[in-house]
Amino acid sequence: MKKLIGPLIFILVALIIGIWQFSGKDEIIRQYKPPKKQTLSLYVGGEKMNFLNNARVKAILEDRYGIMLNNSKAGSIEMVTTLSVAGKDALWPSNQIAVDFFRKRGGDFLSEQNIFNSPLVLYAYDIVADALIGQNIVELREGSYYVIDFLKLVKLIKEKKSWKSIGLPQLYGNIAIFSTDPRHSNSGNMFCGLLASMLNGGKPVTDENLAGVLDDVVDYFKTRGYMEHSSGDIFKNFITTGVGAKPIIVGYENQLVEFAIENEKYSDFLRKKVRTLYPIPTVWSSHPIIALNSGGEKLIEAFKDEEIQKIAWEIHGFRSGLMGVENDPSILKVIGIPKEITSVIAMPHASVMEKIIDVL
Amino acid sequence: MLKRKNFLLGIILFFMFQMLLIGACGDSKEGRKSLKPSGLRFNIVSGSENKEIEPFIQEYAKKEGVSIHMDYMGSVDMMLALSEQGGRMPYDAVWPANSIWIVLGDQKKVIKYAESILRSPVILGVRKSIAERLGWTDNPIQVADFLQAARDGKIRFAMTSATQSNSGASALLGFLHAFAGSPEILQTEHLENPVIQEKIRALLKTVDRSSGSSGWLKFALVEHPERFQAMINYESMIIEANQELIRKNQEPLYAVYPRDAIMISDSPLGYVDKGDEKKEAFFRKLQKWLLSEAVQKRILSLGRRTGLVGINPDMADKAVFNPNWGIDLKKIISPVPTPSEDVIRKALEIYQVSLRKPSCTAYVLDVSGSMEGKGIQDLKNAMATLLDQDQAKRYMLQPSPQDIHIIIPFNSNALEGIQAMGNTPETLNKLLSLQEVRS
Repeated sequence: MKKLIGPLIFILVALIIGIWQFSGKDEIIRQYKPPKKQTLSLYVGGEKMNFLNNARVKAILEDRYGIMLNNSKAGSIEMVTTLSVAGKDALWPSNQIAVDFFRKRGGDFLSEQNIFNSPLVLYAYDIVADALIGQNIVELREGSYYVIDFLKLVKLIKEKKSWKSIGLPQLYGNIAIFSTDPRHSNSGNMFCGLLASMLNGGKPVTDENLAGVLDDVVDYFKTRGYMEHSSGDIFKNFITTGVGAKPIIVGYENQLVEFAIENEKYSDFLRKKVRTLYPIPTVWSSHPIIALNSGGEKLIEAFKDEEIQKIAWEIHGFRSGLMGVENDPSILKVIGIPKEITSVIAMPHASVMEKIIDVL
Repeated sequence: MLKRKNFLLGIILFFMFQMLLIGACGDSKEGRKSLKPSGLRFNIVSGSENKEIEPFIQEYAKKEGVSIHMDYMGSVDMMLALSEQGGRMPYDAVWPANSIWIVLGDQKKVIKYAESILRSPVILGVRKSIAERLGWTDNPIQVADFLQAARDGKIRFAMTSATQSNSGASALLGFLHAFAGSPEILQTEHLENPVIQEKIRALLKTVDRSSGSSGWLKFALVEHPERFQAMINYESMIIEANQELIRKNQEPLYAVYPRDAIMISDSPLGYVDKGDEKKEAFFRKLQKWLLSEAVQKRILSLGRRTGLVGINPDMADKAVFNPNWGIDLKKIISPVPTPSEDVIRKALEIYQVSLRKPSCTAYVLDVSGSMEGKGIQDLKNAMATLLDQDQAKRYMLQPSPQDIHIIIPFNSNALEGIQAMGNTPETLNKLLSLQEVRS
């Protein structure tokens, strides 16, 4: 018996240590039930790629929801109209109208939910913004952010005024706003809708009055030539090729925020050189997830995650699309962002947009 | 015995508990696979203008234990390969001179993460004494001035092929734009206008050297400066050429920026997605490294415009971006607007079959016994790619009506050859059938 005491004590100690460890971590283990892992495939508008590649976002998706993503960048319009969605679990365009397009195409989906909002803005280099201030088209509001009178700007464009005529002889050709291709990408598509409404005297274009502005819209886009297919690409090209190549572009509000935060050492330079101009009126870009199956629906739930929503605003500049979530611009390290966007016009109806796109 | 048994039992129990715990908690970590790149083989296809940057890339590859292989190809060729092969391309990354070629070629959507690594405008480099004589060192010129000088025989110039290389295609689009009277945008009707076509043809006739790639053109100029008066190429290639010309005690080129025909090359590096996670992770690291401040500075020192924002880097070395060579980093470069995809395709097609300087090509073909089997079949396929209009079109190699083709087959002796001109199906079939008979 005596001989057994030693080993027995040893077993006892082992058991106690084991049980102690087990119970010590018991809570964690119960809390942390690793979710079943699954990889979801989706088409995403280029403007959300950085957000989706954010390591913290990836980790939250994987650890809390068991979701890993396989993202293919695609234009918001093409993903719901021309691209095959075979093998995809969800589509994440940047426009509510895309949902209508997808429905019209006869696309099957379980549900859709708006996750983010971002107003359409213009980005201009300093010399361009200053020249437009000189024309009384751009003004500084509350000493902090710039607004641009869209009707006045469209008038200059329609009259085919050159850059030279507003004091910018260094720039080539006529005044134009560079946008993505309305047939492929959402920001271009929304800009097209906004432009049509401006050409319609500032009121949303309808099926009834479209004929009156259609020629001007077509003429405008026909003379643009090559237009990028994704909002992410045009923003990058705006930044990398400089004022001569792209004096002023259409983008989403979040793009500069995201870029400035990601590239902090350039923030002074950006503050000096690049202006965000809020069009009056503007249109909202919403970012609905279209769930094609139950996997896609899981994704919707995951992106409602409070921490993900917080990262989306603070690091990537997306305003929340969920009810009751406030976004405070003072948190951002970027200036020139208003707390609220007040002057918003509705996009023309999907059937009107379709008619425009058909003839572009 | 018992003692030992219990002892062992204790140890086993102890470890069983431990394992249980590790098993439960470790799961999430285990899920993330190791993406260490070492031992990886990674193939990049790049425009030849990036050759000088390859040593940086190899240095990085060595550090990471990755073996990188770089092939060089014109950007238009790359676009054609991408559109033909998509994800079946034997490359893991593409690095053309302009993102437009990825847009035109990537219908299968296999390219991810494309980012501009550097910028360089496509301009005119003219031997400095000639530029001075023509008064181009003081005043900005337009394409019309350039055409006049070429017509008057005051200047001969070299360029790359518009259907192979980005700089050639950019120059062609710039010329077309200028000859169309600088419209808001170049459109199909301009391309079909016979007056504009004639002007371009006249200009291209004065081209005295054409090359498949920008890097090769620079190389040829440096090797034989006496044979060149001017070349259309990237600013970076003009800087590189000048560095070598000065070393050889030769006259440098002067950079001339024609106001109505400049295009900017943005040199995007993109990943070819074939579902290999390790390669994808490595690509992202490589790209991040190339875009890091330190490496961007090194690329800048090679005469490329870098930095995250804009194309007017303020830290550039004046010995590289030398004002005496006409290079001015402060100047705003305002390129002509890029025409739509359809117009670009059409312009290249018209260039190949109608605008370019006609070629005379002699094919000397081995049809001897040693070629029997696969050899002769490969040869036939290659000739069909060149001379069957449908196949040639896929690679923009179509013969034009003025092209002259000479085929001389040989075995131990030269066999009877054939010479033909034109691009009608009859002519081309005759040329193709010749090999049939011989082999």
